[in-house]
Amino acid sequence: MSEVSKGKTVQDKLSELSELVAWFQSAAFKLEDAFDKFKQAEALAEEIEKDLTKLKNDIKVVKKKFDTED
Amino acid sequence: MENNLPQLSVSDFVAITNQTLEYAFPTVSVVGEVTEFRVSQGKWVSFKLKDAGAVVGCFLVLSQLRMPIEDGMKLLVVANPRLNNKGFFSLNVRAMKPVGEGSIKKGFELLKAKLEAEGLFAPERKRRLPRVPQHVAVIASTESAGYVDFCKIINERWGGMTVDVAHTQVQGVPAPDQMIRAIRYFNSLEVLPEVLVLVRGGGSAEDLMAFNDEPLARAIAESRIPTLVGVGHEVDNTLADMVADVRAATPTNAAEILVPDRNEIIRAAHQQASSLGHQLVQSIDEYSARTKEQLEAAFRRIREKLDENFERLATLRLATAQLNPENVLKRGYALLRGGVKLGATVEIETLHEIATAEVKNVRSK
Repeated sequence: MSEVSKGKTVQDKLSELSELVAWFQSAAFKLEDAFDKFKQAEALAEEIEKDLTKLKNDIKVVKKKFDTED
Repeated sequence: MENNLPQLSVSDFVAITNQTLEYAFPTVSVVGEVTEFRVSQGKWVSFKLKDAGAVVGCFLVLSQLRMPIEDGMKLLVVANPRLNNKGFFSLNVRAMKPVGEGSIKKGFELLKAKLEAEGLFAPERKRRLPRVPQHVAVIASTESAGYVDFCKIINERWGGMTVDVAHTQVQGVPAPDQMIRAIRYFNSLEVLPEVLVLVRGGGSAEDLMAFNDEPLARAIAESRIPTLVGVGHEVDNTLADMVADVRAATPTNAAEILVPDRNEIIRAAHQQASSLGHQLVQSIDEYSARTKEQLEAAFRRIREKLDENFERLATLRLATAQLNPENVLKRGYALLRGGVKLGATVEIETLHEIATAEVKNVRSK
């Protein structure tokens, strides 16, 4: 995980990737900055893959019984 | 008269009869066709169950009625037999369910019409589920295949969620109340889960009847947590499905609706990044093409300027050439140098010779 991405959730990273995609389509696009933005997008995609691959669900059966009223 | 028999008061006789009944038949399960169904004072429900040979009265309080019934339906009632103080024998109903396809369908249609009239299935009531929930509540029988399928699919598709599971029965008479308690439990938590999922695998119409229970349908409709219900197979339609915010065809489909597929998201993320690469290359190509065009335009302008200048030069050259005296000599003329005075010496130049001559005569023209 890069320094920039530390502490970010997968959702944050997906949003960031969408913002980069939007920047490429926007009037703010500058060829001088585009290569760095592209490298950022590639790094984010890698991180998203790593994060999503290692995430596990925490499934717990609650202790409370439902067969009778409390 | 038999003298050795104990003499009982009517009240004692009724009490002893009830004790005997309670001992011999604490609970009975009786199947019959409903007749003379009525609700009294908005509180008491009475009807008779009959078959070809006999009739028995049944009694319950209205709040125990879990589904609408009407004359002609075939019911199974679980009841305590009682002789009341007025001498009427009846079954005090504890639970009941329709029996046979026709009656199950009739009960379902009656309740469906009732809930529909109340607007419980209205599309405007439906809430959206979060795209990626972090905390999910599940109500299921943890021993069921439907639950196992559901967990398998959510684990394959997504991760990082907290999933709290309430284990309840999902078929049989106790099932609706257990599921209602579980719904209330999750709705009473300080931090509410983002989605409440009810799942149960396939089964017969009778197996799925618990999901056509009126109090359960109302509990789902009243849930503060958005609900997702996946019961039975694709063709099964229960009232729990209809009141839920989102209906899934099966438990597996519920898992697919609940969470996105991580592989699709990973693929999409890489695709987005690589599309930026393509855009970058395209932008560089466009920039290069534009620069090339600008350079070509500049060269074209320079060439035009040069051509103009060469043309002017040629014109000047021509003009200069026309002024060259040698060209005049070539046409046969001669060049005279020196003063034109009588007796003066002048120099005459032709194309190939230079001669010296003396001026012998001068006259005006």
